[in-house]
Amino acid sequence: MDIETIKAQIDSEIQNINSTQNLEEFRLKYLGRKGILAQLTSQIPLLPQEERALFGQQVNALKNRILSLVSEKQKSITGGPIHRKADIYDISMPGIAQELGRLHPITQVIDEICTIFNRMGFSIVEGPDIETEFNNFTGLNIPLEHPSRDAFDTFYLKGKDKLLLRSHTSPVQIRVMKSRKPPLAIVVPGRVYRPDATDASHSFMFHQIEGFMVSENIRFSDLKGVLELVARAVFGKDIKMRFRPHFFPFTEPSAEVDISCIICKGKGCSVCGRKGWLEILGSGMIHPNVFKHVGYDPKKYTGFAFGMGIERIAMLKFGIDDIRLFFENDLRFLKQF
Amino acid sequence: MKVTYNWLKDFVEIKISPKELAEKFTMAGLEVTSLEEKGGDFVFEIEITSNRPDWLSVTGIAREAAAITNSRLKLPAVKKQKKPGAAVVPFIIKVDDRRDCPLYTAKIIRGVKVGPSPDWLRKRLELVGCRSINNIVDITNYILFTYGEPLHAFDLDKLSGNTINVRRAKNGEKITTIDGQEKALSPDILLIADQKRPVAIAGVMGGQDTEVSYATKNILLEAAVFNLIVVRRGRRILGIQSESSYRFERGVNLEAVDSAAWQAVELMQDLAGGDCALAKSAGLNKVKRKSIILSSTAVNKILGLDIALGRIEKILKSLGFNIQAKPKEAFAVKIPSHRPDVTSGIDLVEEIARIYGYENIPQTLPTVRPQVNARDTRDTVSLIKNILVGLGSNEVITYSLTDKDLLKDFGMHEGFEAVEVLNPLSKEQEVLRPSLTPGLATCVAYNLNQRQDYINIFEVAGVFSQLNNLPREELKLGIALCGIKPLLLKQGLIKEPAGLLDLKGMLEVVFTRLGINDYDFKTDGAVYVAAEKIGLMEKLPGSALEKLDIKNRDVFVAALSLDRLLVHINTGRKFSPLPVYPGISRDISLILKEDISIGDVLGMIKGAAGPLLKDAKVTDYYKGKQIPAGFRGLTISCLYRSDERTLTEAEVSPVHSEVCKLLAGNFAAQIR
Repeated sequence: MDIETIKAQIDSEIQNINSTQNLEEFRLKYLGRKGILAQLTSQIPLLPQEERALFGQQVNALKNRILSLVSEKQKSITGGPIHRKADIYDISMPGIAQELGRLHPITQVIDEICTIFNRMGFSIVEGPDIETEFNNFTGLNIPLEHPSRDAFDTFYLKGKDKLLLRSHTSPVQIRVMKSRKPPLAIVVPGRVYRPDATDASHSFMFHQIEGFMVSENIRFSDLKGVLELVARAVFGKDIKMRFRPHFFPFTEPSAEVDISCIICKGKGCSVCGRKGWLEILGSGMIHPNVFKHVGYDPKKYTGFAFGMGIERIAMLKFGIDDIRLFFENDLRFLKQF
Repeated sequence: MKVTYNWLKDFVEIKISPKELAEKFTMAGLEVTSLEEKGGDFVFEIEITSNRPDWLSVTGIAREAAAITNSRLKLPAVKKQKKPGAAVVPFIIKVDDRRDCPLYTAKIIRGVKVGPSPDWLRKRLELVGCRSINNIVDITNYILFTYGEPLHAFDLDKLSGNTINVRRAKNGEKITTIDGQEKALSPDILLIADQKRPVAIAGVMGGQDTEVSYATKNILLEAAVFNLIVVRRGRRILGIQSESSYRFERGVNLEAVDSAAWQAVELMQDLAGGDCALAKSAGLNKVKRKSIILSSTAVNKILGLDIALGRIEKILKSLGFNIQAKPKEAFAVKIPSHRPDVTSGIDLVEEIARIYGYENIPQTLPTVRPQVNARDTRDTVSLIKNILVGLGSNEVITYSLTDKDLLKDFGMHEGFEAVEVLNPLSKEQEVLRPSLTPGLATCVAYNLNQRQDYINIFEVAGVFSQLNNLPREELKLGIALCGIKPLLLKQGLIKEPAGLLDLKGMLEVVFTRLGINDYDFKTDGAVYVAAEKIGLMEKLPGSALEKLDIKNRDVFVAALSLDRLLVHINTGRKFSPLPVYPGISRDISLILKEDISIGDVLGMIKGAAGPLLKDAKVTDYYKGKQIPAGFRGLTISCLYRSDERTLTEAEVSPVHSEVCKLLAGNFAAQIR
């Protein structure tokens, strides 16, 4: 058979092949050890010297042609030598993974702030929700029958000798100072309770972070420095900050701290009540009377303390306008954080 | 507290705009919450902190304005009328207890003509939110706002017996106050009474019977100081608050009482005519002035500043303090009577810092000596939370207070005494919760209402109970699951109803990560760690779900005591050498009666196989056509390995056959 006849025969045969088995038979017929091409090759030495090269080339070309035809046919039969049909690879299909849950946004904010203080060398301490009147009020220099108590309406417990639900995290100051000696650098996150009617900005239960530092030489300027660092870490480097005199029974001098409104950058908007400033925390130098109550010498030690409402900070950070959302625990809400 | 720009200017020269003044007030601790231009004047609304009764007056705020704008306070001279008018009336002031009323002054003005107030007076009062009544009442209010000294005018002719008696109320006594409310009185309440009856609640509100009307001719003007605690207690019991009580309970300036009354008398004579027929007082007219020794070193040490002595002196003087220099950069500061809040050096430090300006105090960083704690509860709780989040659960925060009925619905009423709240605002705040379960179930119900079909939530928080009549807090972990867990795999969506085994799986992951291996889940859902019961997994009873309006859904809850769990944590890790020799794995496929526990089967295999068995675990279970009803198919994969040599088939086969034989014998298992 001459080369051209074989070529025509190949072209017609390959058309009719539609299974892997037939294709393999086809391959063996031509390329097998005793196949047609092997026979052709064996004839080469019998040819005259001058024809051998040309014939060799033709046989080689034919071999390549068969190989490529087989390979193509293979693809059309099986969908390719590498990927079988079931493995069609569509990267746009949904990835397969366990869906991640979320930490509550309040937990996230507490963790963020605690971590910042932790890096500055503050330890984290927690205290109980049920407190004594002494730790919640008297020890903190809040007289029992005084208008300053008005800011601290409190849930009392039935039949329990003056036990109450703490109305702020400050009682932990008393607990820590009574059991340890300075130097102290502590932050205290936790739940607090006040009998406030619930609305978009009030909740009878909410969270605070209290912080305090006591040593032999703590100054008001240190309070300013520490809180500025923290506020920038939480709200961004570009915020402005101001300390305003205020009154808290357990600190003196006392200060309320405002940051420039993170929504309008201080120009005035509905969130900051057109003031350009947002109040974020209360602070001050620990009152000497508090030191006296815990048995510290107020001549020897000074310290600062501060407290902030976590819900408020979370609302500002995330742009949440209703405090009740934190306690409804709607999954569509929780999954946004 | 509202105050106007022009009213302030009566007492201090102000050269800056109202807006600039508002800014300065705020930065000095008088937070201006609004500034409004109104009726040709500017009204400042200022939040006054409870320690500053002196700021509850125009003159007090003017003093502050003078200090922060480097101006001077101008107070009018007091004109005492030395000689009362023609008819001298006999009058008795009787104060039962001086502690209740340290000073009571009364002035009688005869022949007044009560009528409407002139425009300037009406307007001023209206700008600060006070309704005009008549000239006499308006003057008492005007003096109250100007000097912070509450006054009260009685219709003298309606008082019986020419007597004022400051006394406690008797049980059963009643009074109708000027707002028309009848109030029942009790001995906690301090009264102004005449010979027969109560005529005013001291420091809080006058009585309707004796109020000044257009028909009034003669007036008794009261200016007094009442005990602040008594006033506060009384107005709380009666549930009324007034401009007077607001000032009395914060403390009024005793030394200014009489002069304020004389200012009122003068104004009354100007606007309503009449003669002052009597001026009488009972009690102290001076307070003991305290002196505080202060050194500039102490001031600078606390503030982190370096203010010179002269500057400190100037600041304190501008606020009305009297200064006397002492050696060693110190001085004695005499406290004026309008500053009852200043009782120690630190109070003065605050005054200095305020006027110096908080904004002028530098920022420094303290030296912190960190105390490094080992891993504590908070860290572990955080780890647990993060594991659960990784397992797809969402953290919730629910209220620690709850209502008793909800607890009843969850069967928590018998043999259990909840910690009750004395003063809840609503039913939802009656008791401290003894369990996280009702709160979690309520959250599930809420989310079902929002058409969520798979709910996977957890909470870590305290629960409360009583132990020996003392409340006890315990830290708990609660996990709730409800609905169909959707798993989108390559094969398509697999819908798997969540159940107790999902809870078990989550807890196992947590336990393992915490290094707790000695745990056990009992058939009744009890969870044990080291033979101690630490919690319970349960399918919530239908009765409870019904109360929450959860229909056709199962809710699964696990509640664990973290206080008890955390005792068993073992975070110390020890390296085990990696296996050197290959193991041989043999699968057993068997058919078991459904009521045979897989735990028992695995336990038996582990017991029977001896030391070569390194692990036996379930790798498949199935029911269906090939398996007869009441049975289930199971594949258990056994791994045999030696640490000393490569095992041969000849070593493993007899052991494995023995295991299979025992399974067939003990559990009537059909080995396939």
